[in-house]
Amino acid sequence: MLKFALSAALCIVAASNAFAGAEEGKAKATACVACHGPDGNSPSADFPSLAGQTSRYIYLQLKDFKEGRRKNEIMSALTTNLSKQDMRDLGDWFAAQKQKSTGFKADGAKVARGQKVAADALCTMCHLGGFSGQNEVPRVGGQHQAYIYRQLMAFKNKERTNDAGNMQSVMRSITEEDVEALSHYIANVN
Amino acid sequence: MKFQKMTRIAAALTFAGFVGNALAGEIENQSTSSGKPMSKSLVSVTQQLLNASTNDKNHWLHPNGNYAQTRHAPATQINAGNVGKLKPAFVFQTAVMESMETAPLVVNGVMFLTTSYNHVYAIDAVTGEEFWHYKHKMGPVSTYCCGPNNKGVAAYGDLLFMGTLDAKLVALDAKTGKMVWETEIADPEKGYSETMAPTVIDGKVLIGTNGGEYGIRGFVKAFDAKTGNLLWTFNTIPEKGHEGVWAEKDATGRNMLRNIAKEKELLAKNGSDFYQTLGGGVWMTPAVDTDTRTVYFVVGNPSPDLYGDIRPGDNLYTDSIVAVDLDTGAYKSHFQYIAHDVWDLDAVSPPIITTAKGKDGKDTKVVIHGGKTGHVYVHDAKTLELIRFSEAMIPQENMWVLPTPEGARMLPGANGGVEWNPLAVNSKLRLAYAANLHQPMTYHVEETPYPGGDKLWLGGAFKVVPGEKQWGRLAAVNIDTGKIAWKADTDQPLMGGVLSTAGGVVFTGEGNGMFNAYDAKNGKKLWTFNCGAGVNAPPVSYTVGGKQYIAVAAGGNTQLDFKRGNSVFVFALP
Ligand code: HEC
Ligand code: HEC
Repeated sequence: MLKFALSAALCIVAASNAFAGAEEGKAKATACVACHGPDGNSPSADFPSLAGQTSRYIYLQLKDFKEGRRKNEIMSALTTNLSKQDMRDLGDWFAAQKQKSTGFKADGAKVARGQKVAADALCTMCHLGGFSGQNEVPRVGGQHQAYIYRQLMAFKNKERTNDAGNMQSVMRSITEEDVEALSHYIANVN
Repeated sequence: MKFQKMTRIAAALTFAGFVGNALAGEIENQSTSSGKPMSKSLVSVTQQLLNASTNDKNHWLHPNGNYAQTRHAPATQINAGNVGKLKPAFVFQTAVMESMETAPLVVNGVMFLTTSYNHVYAIDAVTGEEFWHYKHKMGPVSTYCCGPNNKGVAAYGDLLFMGTLDAKLVALDAKTGKMVWETEIADPEKGYSETMAPTVIDGKVLIGTNGGEYGIRGFVKAFDAKTGNLLWTFNTIPEKGHEGVWAEKDATGRNMLRNIAKEKELLAKNGSDFYQTLGGGVWMTPAVDTDTRTVYFVVGNPSPDLYGDIRPGDNLYTDSIVAVDLDTGAYKSHFQYIAHDVWDLDAVSPPIITTAKGKDGKDTKVVIHGGKTGHVYVHDAKTLELIRFSEAMIPQENMWVLPTPEGARMLPGANGGVEWNPLAVNSKLRLAYAANLHQPMTYHVEETPYPGGDKLWLGGAFKVVPGEKQWGRLAAVNIDTGKIAWKADTDQPLMGGVLSTAGGVVFTGEGNGMFNAYDAKNGKKLWTFNCGAGVNAPPVSYTVGGKQYIAVAAGGNTQLDFKRGNSVFVFALP
């Protein structure tokens, strides 16, 4: 499934060059919509939603994929030929899209527990109230639950290390059960 | 050189214009006039007026009241006897619903206030009517850790000066709000940003920088008020000698549990080039002694906050109070509170010049600072030698346990004690008033190399201790003895700052929206008003037409996630 999507997307990347020019970011984003959704709201938790994400965070993640600091086969292939300007335009375009509900049904007990864990870990000191994000700190409120869970576990297990240590340190002493609770809580925030 | 700077700015503006238009379509870097002509009472802010602020009831010309930064208003109309009758005169609502830390300036009945994201408003300080509204056009990159805050403008002549989140300094025409010049202070892609209010003296605009959470190299710079040209730079991290004296003890004589042998080994092995990313931001307004032409400021934490092995040595001049020459920026003296800090317990609250008993018991010119540690420190203004430190204003515990990967508990937490909150001093009572917070935390370390300036770099994490109560405390400290004269506790940690008045009243706000007045002598609560959003900004006092007003912003706070608002409340007696 992923393989198919990848090759499809690569075709779109090639095609998109022909259309480049109209509205920079929008045209460039045609290479992304197969997975991340036509307006950046991805239909599947396999792919993070990008709509309403901060432009700066998107730019820095693309740079990290491109330069190998964040590891993902699909995304590193897709970023190989992106220029700094491409990445900035893409960031701006996705940031300007409206985030929509993923329709996730959260577990009430997990939400309550997640809220407590989040308060103690001072998550919003960086991510801001509602996990709305700022600059290089991502918006995670309303993101796909399974994606959030995967990322938090990846930080905890030091499989994702492009965070300058901040998330790895935060997650180190949080149990797997609490990660599950956190992911329900955050996915449920709008 | 000049040309290059211009084109860079122009390029940044065009790009930001593209983004801005796509997102909003508002007019930026331009002022919108309300149509109401600027009040005829607005005067040019002369050096003479600025120097005379300490005894000036009418204006409020410095973020902290005067060059000495006492935040003590000389007006007595509102006093301990009648403050209970204080009523709102008007509320001014801005267009920006985000944390407010502004200390409004008032020039002869015209108020200049700022909001998050660098908006500036000029309003009538009696009626609240708007004259103009300036919105800064933010460049494509701004990097800041703790909210899109701004603490206010400085005024000089017919200009206002503001530092911006994208690390620019802008000069505005006070009458119209139109931009007169703009200059880049430092590179925002390397983690530099501005939230502090500058200070201006003799045609020099003095400003520091944020960025201790991004691996910057801190500084204080002086810019020409007319042209924006750089006049001098004092780097808070010297290229040579930042390892200092390998201090084992903190300012109060407690052992900091450093492994100095290991640090020396690391320095010998890895060299000392890390001075370029060692932090040391200066993010609160400096004090100026106009007699000796000395600038005093406090320097923030080393970068990264919690991981020390990558930066062996005392990390001078982080966590220090520093004095430099006003005309040249040359080093005069310093005193370091915590060498090789790994708790982010840096020096932040702006220093105050006042009088207290020296070691010999005689009245001495001193500089005081309220620490995140919970102590008020009293220094000899000449040498910065520590004369005394106060009793701890909040609980301390486990000092100085080193951070661990799993987290080590120590009090105070990383926000203090006294955060950036400016103190106020009543020199007649010899009391310093400090807004404190109590927030038990664990300190976590994580080995992390410098990520390049574009990402937050703490080298670990701070967490609050589950189930432990957090609270605030307004403490009055006798600066002659270091003893606590009184304390008034609040439900929530205090973040915002204090105003003291000659009427014997002390004002401060709380995150729950309460704005309170206390008896300066004994801490009795005399009055309270619910502003409906967190009062987390320093109050100011001014007088127009013989009537005294107290103004304070209620916009909440990002860092402690207090309820956001968008208003400045102004109070007077009926
Ligand atoms: C074939 C599917 C696919 C396509 C096409 C694709 N992506 Fe991705 N993208 C992913 C996956 C999967 C992840 C999650 C990677 C991980 O788990 O670390 C991801 C992650 C990201 C992230 C990180 C988001 C976050 O919250 O951290 C960004 C940014 C991103 N993609 C941008 C883009 C852009 C821009 C394009 C178009 C140029 C694009 N992607 C095209 C699959 C895709
Ligand atoms: C010290 C600041 C800080 C704190 C505290 C913090 N975060 Fe983060 N978080 C970040 C930064 C910065 C990133 C982006 C890292 C990068 O550049 O890849 C991030 C990334 C994330 C991501 C990945 C988002 C994505 O789209 O891939 C999630 C999920 C997340 N944080 C959740 C949390 C939760 C839950 C907490 C509290 C338990 C928390 N964060 C605490 C700064 C912080």
